Amino acid sequence: MISFQKKNWLYKVYTWLPVLVLYISVLNEFDFNYIDLQYFSFNFPFLLIFYFTLKEYSRFDFLLVFISGLVNDTVVGLPLGISSFSYILVCIFAAYLRNITIRPNLIKDWFYFLFIISLINSINYSVLFFFFSFELDIMFYVVNNFFTFLLYMPIISFFDKYLQAIND
Amino acid sequence: MASSRDDFIIAIRSAFLKKETQQKFSLLSLLFISILIIILSSFNFKIVNNLRNTINEIVYRSSFVVSIPENLIINSYKTITEYSNFYDEYKLNKKKLENLKSKEVLNEIIVSENKELKNLIEDFTLTTSKILAKVIVDHDSPFLKTIIINKGSAEGLKIGTNIFDKNYLIGRVIETNFKTSRVLLLSDLNSSVPISITPGNIQAIVIGDGKNSGEIKYIKGNLIEEIQDQSIGYTSGTGDLFRSGVPVGRLTVNNESVYLNFYSDFSQLKYVFAEIEKKNVNQKNLSSQVDELTSSNQNTEAIKLKLLNDQIKILNETNSKFIEENKNLVSETENLNSININLKQIIKKQIDEINQNKTDQKELEFLRLNLLYSSKCQKSAFKKGYKIGTSEYRKCILNRGDY
Repeated sequence: MISFQKKNWLYKVYTWLPVLVLYISVLNEFDFNYIDLQYFSFNFPFLLIFYFTLKEYSRFDFLLVFISGLVNDTVVGLPLGISSFSYILVCIFAAYLRNITIRPNLIKDWFYFLFIISLINSINYSVLFFFFSFELDIMFYVVNNFFTFLLYMPIISFFDKYLQAIND
Repeated sequence: MASSRDDFIIAIRSAFLKKETQQKFSLLSLLFISILIIILSSFNFKIVNNLRNTINEIVYRSSFVVSIPENLIINSYKTITEYSNFYDEYKLNKKKLENLKSKEVLNEIIVSENKELKNLIEDFTLTTSKILAKVIVDHDSPFLKTIIINKGSAEGLKIGTNIFDKNYLIGRVIETNFKTSRVLLLSDLNSSVPISITPGNIQAIVIGDGKNSGEIKYIKGNLIEEIQDQSIGYTSGTGDLFRSGVPVGRLTVNNESVYLNFYSDFSQLKYVFAEIEKKNVNQKNLSSQVDELTSSNQNTEAIKLKLLNDQIKILNETNSKFIEENKNLVSETENLNSININLKQIIKKQIDEINQNKTDQKELEFLRLNLLYSSKCQKSAFKKGYKIGTSEYRKCILNRGDY
């Protein structure tokens, strides 16, 4: 297992890794589109934000999440503020779940995640379609939603390993 | 019941308002800021646009830098696969090149013919200068099919500038910053291109299908049944969104739907051409004068005067020709009149002669009949008749002796 000395610079980088990965993913639009599977895409920032807000990770600043949303809007070409709004909503729902949960249950979290990403994607689609007159294929949203939900488990287990390394 | 409602309210308040140890803003305030930004971005405020342009410049460059490792892996994979298919592709390319060489000759002829025809109809031709631009961000997003290029308003790009891959149209600029621009690809759901389909010269509109092709819609006169498989689609120039006559793709007829397979592969774009257009009047004879026209008003007047002088000169020349011709015609008319008078005199003489001849013939007939019937008509002591020389006598002679 990886172990760090607490004041080592590598340790500091490691603690900031979720935020770094979030920024890399929004700048790079990290969703494996280049593998050329029909409709395949997933929303990695949603997974990352949901997990680290749920775990109340101290280095996960909401302001940085908000800025990463602005960056994502710029990269994708969406109206400014849409992704920030979505990311902050994910944070709010995750914080709410954390506050009402006494005994965490992975399956419950998983389906709660499905509910919130469906809701946020619906709001996104409605805002873009009705207020900004964007022509969007709803199938992309449905498939994106589905794959984000499916990939929750493997990615969460990876994040668990990361947190475990910090705590150790 | 009351306690569960309290728990819910506490949880909500905690989620929205509670600032964690490291948090500088509550989630509720960030939520309001994001809503405010959405509302402001929907309006066209100058300050918001400037802020957006600044963010765009920074983010596009950062995105390019961040994408380098991923692009390196993808490109390495593609290079390896390309090397493995190198020889087969070489053979195919050799064949294609031979075909293209022959087609290029035809193409040159068509282009020159097209220019001549445009000059004839005194149309506006576009003097274009294509500038090379590098694709700095291309994530092949399934939602919006856009790319970012490293040329912006500083190089003369503006919203609507046509973007090409080689000679094929791939999209148009929808957002410009100082040094970067966003290009909406033809495959995007929000893209619509007016095209002409040949053979048949059918007018239609191609809408991007969000994948890598387009669907033919809004065909003029519902001519969908007349479209042949593998027909060519090129821009019609309708609506002045895209330059006319630019090849876009080949059509595939699939049951009742018609799809357009773009010539260019949008996932392989590395460098593109942006076409900066300037409109020039294409009147061959006046081209130099028109340049002067735009330069100063004095020149305009001079050109106008010169044109009018030329016109007067031509009119004078034509006029003198007419006068000379007129004189010739007058003298010719006089000659003809004199001939006419002579001829009339001759005719009159001839008529007189004919009349004289007729009278002579009548007199001769009377004399002949007088010799034969004078005894019958002449008055005597024993016979009733007429006195010689009277009109009754003459009548009697002409009636051959009958009274």
